[in-house]
Parts: sequence; C-alpha cells; structure tokens
Amino acid sequence: MKVDIQSLGTFNRLAHEGAEEATAAMCQMTGLDAVVDVTKITLMDRDDIGEQLRDEEYVGVQFAFEGELAGDTVLVFDREGSRTIAESLIPGGGASDSMARSSVKEIGNIMMSGFIDGWADFLTATIEHSPPEYVEGTGEAILPDRRRPDSDDADDGDGADTSGQNTEQIFVFKSEIEWVGESVSFYIYMLPEYEPLAEVMGRHGQAQGDAIPVDKLQVFNEMTYDGTQRAADNVEMMTGIETEAEVSQLSFAPIEDVPKQVGTDTYVGTVVEFTGVPSGFLMVLFDEDSAVHIAEAMMPIEMDADGLTGQHKNAIEELGNIMTSGFVDGWANVLQTSVDHTPPRLVHDMGRAIVDPLAAQVGQHQEHAFIIDSEMRTDDIAFGAEIHALPNETELRQALDELLVDRADQTDADIEQIF
Amino acid sequence: MKVYDESSEDSETTTGSDRIKVGIAEYQVASGEVVLTTSGLGSCLGVAIYDRETKTAGLLHVMLPSKAESDGDNDAKFADSGIRELVDELEREGADRSNMVAKIAGGSDMLDFSENGSGIGDRNAEVGRRTLDQFDIPLEGEDVGGEHGRSLRLETATGDLTVKSANRESVTL
Repeated sequence: MKVDIQSLGTFNRLAHEGAEEATAAMCQMTGLDAVVDVTKITLMDRDDIGEQLRDEEYVGVQFAFEGELAGDTVLVFDREGSRTIAESLIPGGGASDSMARSSVKEIGNIMMSGFIDGWADFLTATIEHSPPEYVEGTGEAILPDRRRPDSDDADDGDGADTSGQNTEQIFVFKSEIEWVGESVSFYIYMLPEYEPLAEVMGRHGQAQGDAIPVDKLQVFNEMTYDGTQRAADNVEMMTGIETEAEVSQLSFAPIEDVPKQVGTDTYVGTVVEFTGVPSGFLMVLFDEDSAVHIAEAMMPIEMDADGLTGQHKNAIEELGNIMTSGFVDGWANVLQTSVDHTPPRLVHDMGRAIVDPLAAQVGQHQEHAFIIDSEMRTDDIAFGAEIHALPNETELRQALDELLVDRADQTDADIEQIF
Repeated sequence: MKVYDESSEDSETTTGSDRIKVGIAEYQVASGEVVLTTSGLGSCLGVAIYDRETKTAGLLHVMLPSKAESDGDNDAKFADSGIRELVDELEREGADRSNMVAKIAGGSDMLDFSENGSGIGDRNAEVGRRTLDQFDIPLEGEDVGGEHGRSLRLETATGDLTVKSANRESVTL
C-alpha cells in the first residue's frame, strides 16, 4: 500500500473539518465556546496511543463504525470539561454524576454523528456507527482496547519487530479542542482499522509521483524508536540513571500546526540542523524541572544555587549533543547515507517559540510536514526528554524511496550494533 | 433560564469569551472590551492594527514574509497578504484606514540556520513594515528581532500591545 502526500493532506483536512463540525455542534447546544486547536495523522505503535492522556480522570463517548472504513472513534473529556458541559445543558447538572453522564452522552452523540457523516460524505460511501457508549477511565485506559480484537496474532503485526516488543503500528487521527478561556481541552480520537484505511488511502492517492509505501514509514518509525533508545542509553551512560525510550511516532500536519506539537511551557534543550538526505532540524527538549534534575545528576558537586543556572545549561548542551549524535547516527546507518549536523544551539524559551522558526524555515518550501516525535522517561527521578525532528518532506520521501525494505529487514540484526 | 451561582462555570465562560486566541497563520478582529492573544512567536511576526475612533482592533500572526515566494493559499500565513486581509476585515467591521495605527512584535533571529542573507524573522519584520507603509498606516511601536520568543496580548479598548517573553520583563507598546 502506498500513501501519497496529497492524500495525507486531504485526510488531515477531512479529520480537521469533522472535528470542527463536531465542535460547532457542541457550541451551539451548550453556548460554550471552543476551537479545534490541532488535527494530525499519526502513525504509531498501537500500545502508545493516548500517551498524551496522563494520569487524569476522563469520561467520554465511544462509537464503533463500519462500512467503507471500520474502527472506533472516541470523544474524550476530562472530568472538569464534562461538568462544564452538564452545567451548560442543565444548570446544577454538573453536581450530579448521572446528569453529567447523560449530558456527555447526549452531546457526544450529536458531535460524533457529524464527524462520521463528514467522512462518509467525502468517501461517498456509507459508514454505519453503533449507538454511543459512555466510557470512563484513567489516562489512556479511556481509549478502546488497544490490542487487536483478534489478539492471537498480535505478534505477527504489520511492522518488523526490531526491538523485541510488539510493534504493530496504526494510523490515528487526533484532534485537540480547546475551550476558549479555559485551560482544559478535549480530544477526538479516530482509530481506523488498518486494512480498510489503507485501501481507501490507496484509492484516493495517486499511484505514481509522491507516494510513499506505508511499510517504509513503519520501518522509519522503528528506526526512530531505536535511535531514541540509543539517545536514552547515552543519557544513562552520562548520568547513571536508567532511561527508556517510550514513544516514537511519525505525524503529518499542516506546517502552521507544527509549533503546536510542543507545549507553551518553557523548555531547555538543543537544536541542530542536519544535512544530507533527508535534511531538517532536530530538537532535544527538556522541561525546566527535568533539565535541572538531569543536569545535577551529571555534575560531581552540589549546586549552590536553586533553579536553572549557567552550569546546568552547559550540562544540557553537552547532553543534547550526545543525544543528537546517537539519534542521527542511527538514521544515517540504516538509511546508509551520511547525515551531518551543525553544532548544537542551546535554547531556553517557550516550547512553541522554539519550534516556530524551524517550522518557518521548512515551511518556505512545503505546506505540510512530517514530524518525528519521541520521548524518554525514567522512574528514578522526575525526568522526561522529548526529541522532535522536522525533516524536509521531499528529501524524506527520497530517503524512504531509497530504503529497500529487505535492507531494513537485514538491518534488524545490525540495529543492535548500529545504535 | 441560567442561574449563576458559585458552582456555575458560566460566569467564567463569559469572561473567557472576551479573550480571543489567534493561531499561527490566522487573524482576528474585535471591538469593545476584548483581549486578542497569540503565543509562541519565534521568527513569526505579530501585527496589531488599531482604529482609535471606533476602538476596533485586529491581530495577525504570520509565519513567512511574502506570499509570492512560497506555496500556500492561506493569505494569513504571509506578512504581505496577511496585512492586506486584516486591513480589509477591519474596514468591513467599520474601521477607517485613516484612523488606523499599527504595532509589530516578533520576528526573532532565534534558531535561524540560514547561512547567508537575512533570516526569516528579519524579513517578516521588513515586509510587515513595508506593507503597512503602502497602506499609509503609521507604525507606532515595535519589539522585533533578538534571540527570544514572544507572546502577545492586544487590548481592543486601548490598543495596548503587551509583549511577554519566557525570561524577561514584559513590555507594553
């Protein structure tokens, strides 16, 4: 199955418009004001879906759909959001759990019918959906069973297994919607089954031209995971803190949505430009607390001052450099090309402002972008790091074109040595 | 009928609706007591245009300097076409071009990897100034360049544009 850039763009717009219609339906019924912040298509490991929903309590409405496309769709609110909705429908309704539940179900039903109908209209096909089911849960447990329904064969998933874990990868459409003037958000997840989606994408794409075989995207994702693990090993080597690669994903979004992939909090980290095929930018970002913790773990002596000092920043620069090298070398080896990078530039600023100039530089030549995201965490201390890469789209396509899938299979054995 | 009490979120929602967010490659126009905000400007440029008489204001968040130089059909993504759109929209909302004044902020040099020529941030600011000049809209204040990100807050009642950054004091233009 091949997927071309144009059809990814079309599908992204479709998901975005569907989310906008759903949001408009909710605003009309409740008088609340909300806007769709970002919509993206992500190819990721099935087990990692919902990673953004940390340990909070969520409620939502879930539908199964089938027809031209099949799968599940879930609308997810945090508790506070569901109370706001209940309150807007029936004053005082927010205080009662059962009223909150029926409000969420009612609103969810209206929102999601619009969402699914939008897809059916575009595909000029019928998509049936099941009655809405009220769901609640903590974090990612709110999402439907993330294992394959016929999980007997879960191990022989579509992707090559390079890391000893089940690497079945699926496409996820995710929209993040923000209440105006509130800090809470809600989400629409659409989890289509792989085969029908692949077929539809194949039909809507051009067979020739800028099409990318999807299996290569999957291989690329696995390389990213391994590259991140290598970067995490470097962190461990320098700090003695056991660190694991957690999430690797490849997303596709309009260029103006790229900075929104990173939060508005302040981050510390390094940025490099890499050259070769593909060229692009690579960011290693730590939230401020993580930066302080990890930098102190690297320093032999106690720090006199609280907070982030110049010494901390020097340590972060060094760490960012070695993490970048691990990551980029991994790519270069699997792609069998040379990927050079500039010396790291230290940044300490609002997350979005860091990504913004990079997106603008890439955006001079392309309207959509692939964004490679990965994360690492450790249980020992409060620490998290994010790696984001923003490759030139045409060159990424070229690199993937040149990546022979059998070679990727061969490199399975090598990957251990390479990274 | 809505009942406002302590447990009600409605009062917050009402306050909330007086604050309008402007995303990247977007603009918004408002009048009355409204605050327009946009965040995470790196090399992007924020353009605030204000009509003193009608107290109508608009805020634009552009990513690139010139529509002619890049792909894309969203006018609000570019400084030249974005300002044109914003001025048109302000006029549709009853503002008069002869009363308009402008302020710009953003266009930072941070993380500009281009080796020769001026960076995107510089060019965004330059095209922004030139386009405002073509429309005879005086530029009353600017906070551009440097190596840091910015977030903006424009008050439609006064035309005050507050510029915030992660590691420095805010300034009001």
